Amino acid sequence: MGNQKWKKYWQVLTSNNIGLFGLILLMIFLLIAILAPFLAPFDPTDRVGAPFTKPNSQFLLGTNDVGQDILSELLYGTRISLLIGVIAAFISILLGCLVGIVSGYYGGKVDALLMRLVDLVLVIPFLPLMILLAAFIGPSFWNIVLVISLISWASPARVIRSQVLTLKTKGYVEAAKSIGTNISVVLSRHILPGVIPIALSQFVLAASHSILIEASLSFLGLGDPFTKSWGTILYYAQARGAFLTDAWIWWVLPPGLLITTLVIGFAFTGYSLEEILNPRLRKER
Amino acid sequence: MLGKFIAGKFLQYLIVIFLMLTLNFLLPRLMPGNPLVFLAGEDVGFMSSAEKEAILDKYGLNDSIIEQYGAYIKDIFTGDFGYSYQQKRPISELLMERLPWTMLLTGLGLVLSTIIGVMFGAISAWRRGTKTDANLLTVFMFLSAMPSFWVGMILVSIFSAQLGWLPVFGAESAWSNYSGIDRIIDIGKHLILPLATLILISVTSTFMIMRYSMLNVLGEDYIMMAKAKGVKEKVIKYKHAMRNALLPVATVFMLSLGFTLGGATVIETVFAYPGVGRLMFESVLSRDYPLIQATFLIITFSVVIANFLADLIYPLLDPKVGSRNG
Repeated sequence: MGNQKWKKYWQVLTSNNIGLFGLILLMIFLLIAILAPFLAPFDPTDRVGAPFTKPNSQFLLGTNDVGQDILSELLYGTRISLLIGVIAAFISILLGCLVGIVSGYYGGKVDALLMRLVDLVLVIPFLPLMILLAAFIGPSFWNIVLVISLISWASPARVIRSQVLTLKTKGYVEAAKSIGTNISVVLSRHILPGVIPIALSQFVLAASHSILIEASLSFLGLGDPFTKSWGTILYYAQARGAFLTDAWIWWVLPPGLLITTLVIGFAFTGYSLEEILNPRLRKER
Repeated sequence: MLGKFIAGKFLQYLIVIFLMLTLNFLLPRLMPGNPLVFLAGEDVGFMSSAEKEAILDKYGLNDSIIEQYGAYIKDIFTGDFGYSYQQKRPISELLMERLPWTMLLTGLGLVLSTIIGVMFGAISAWRRGTKTDANLLTVFMFLSAMPSFWVGMILVSIFSAQLGWLPVFGAESAWSNYSGIDRIIDIGKHLILPLATLILISVTSTFMIMRYSMLNVLGEDYIMMAKAKGVKEKVIKYKHAMRNALLPVATVFMLSLGFTLGGATVIETVFAYPGVGRLMFESVLSRDYPLIQATFLIITFSVVIANFLADLIYPLLDPKVGSRNG
């Protein structure tokens, strides 16, 4: 894909209100994640105040049950939620691409087998399976990433397979194959460039799902206890009954709003990417 | 043709069940650490060696792995899910106690969210491109972006803790001795918030599919024809368009059961609602591994059965598939 084409995508993406909005949200969160040490007034692991302090000029969102500053926890939590979402989505899209390309390109028995596997994975209720796996392999950052990506590759694999199937019938691919071009060259030169844009939009959507799943797992107490994500903060808020007191406004509301906003950021970017890449959808809106 | 399709599906679901059973069988035996902890829970440390020996014997851990697997499969299919050493009760008994609550919650949730999703999806498609359509789309997108448990927590904060209108947790008041209609009202009051949460988080998928399917139908020739003939708008909308657009929704209804049950796990936890999902959470908290596995299996079974039912029902709904059968 030439530079020109990417430039065009960028223009369409930014000329589309929803996509632009999503992108801006993602940029803001990225900045917060990177600048967390400068933005946060305290170290989120330090006990800096009395437990259950109400919001005041020193602690803008009060403190939690052990006296840590909630605002600082939230700012640092951005890193964890964003990182888990992005890494898990990346691995699952990588797996999805691998399965999708192999399945679509080779067809036949390999394709049938892999697609049956995809069907199987899609039937399994994923959240309970993740709870089961997370409970057995133990809560840690990488285990959560692993569990999420092991389950979420199936539906991207299907989307990518159908894209490969379309690409395969294109004249230039058939021409390349007919003159005996090496498979690896056909794949990297002709198939991959056509797959990457679709994979990108799938990646963005997968990231939004991963963030929600991570939040749920952490909320169930299966998150990494040493790196607090937004879901973990809500786990403690629930365990200490914060949602039954006035503390819900500064302890329960903010983390959920942040999760929602980040997911919206990814979803809006993803949908408008999809719209750009799928002309059929563009017409229907 | 149809028979072959159903047999194929049946085989597929059978494979899912066996894969999940095998996963369940292997997890406690392959994970590093003492398999006894995984089979009997973390209280193992307090057990005497005779007790440990009894458990080893019960699970046949001294037998060959193949014999163990055979015994395991046989137990599951005879309804023996093992024993929760922490709750000191057979697991199948625990499951039976919790299952009705989950079925009540997810069943109602699925029906109501489908009705609501269908209605708004139809409105959105009918007014495609207008402000109403855009607003509805935005609202439903936001709904699907919210974490389910957080929606539940916020609802409890507002309606139970702050306003005091509804009970905070549980499925009915403890030690109330309500009976008859009073008990039903009590159960209903406890159900409102978890149900509302479940609907809010699962309604978007139905909405999106209904909207999309309705848009497709509205583009069909027979709708144009009806319009040209001067058929009343209401008749076109309800009789022609909505009816035909409902087909894809019917499949999604069954298929979303897996999602709904998963969502219910988290929601039941927030509301301490005594369903299977809450049981799974409790067993995770106490690291009661056999119970975690059993709750997972029962949820998987339900989902697989629902999927299979959807496959059986689908040909009845879709005349195109049905006629192929003659």
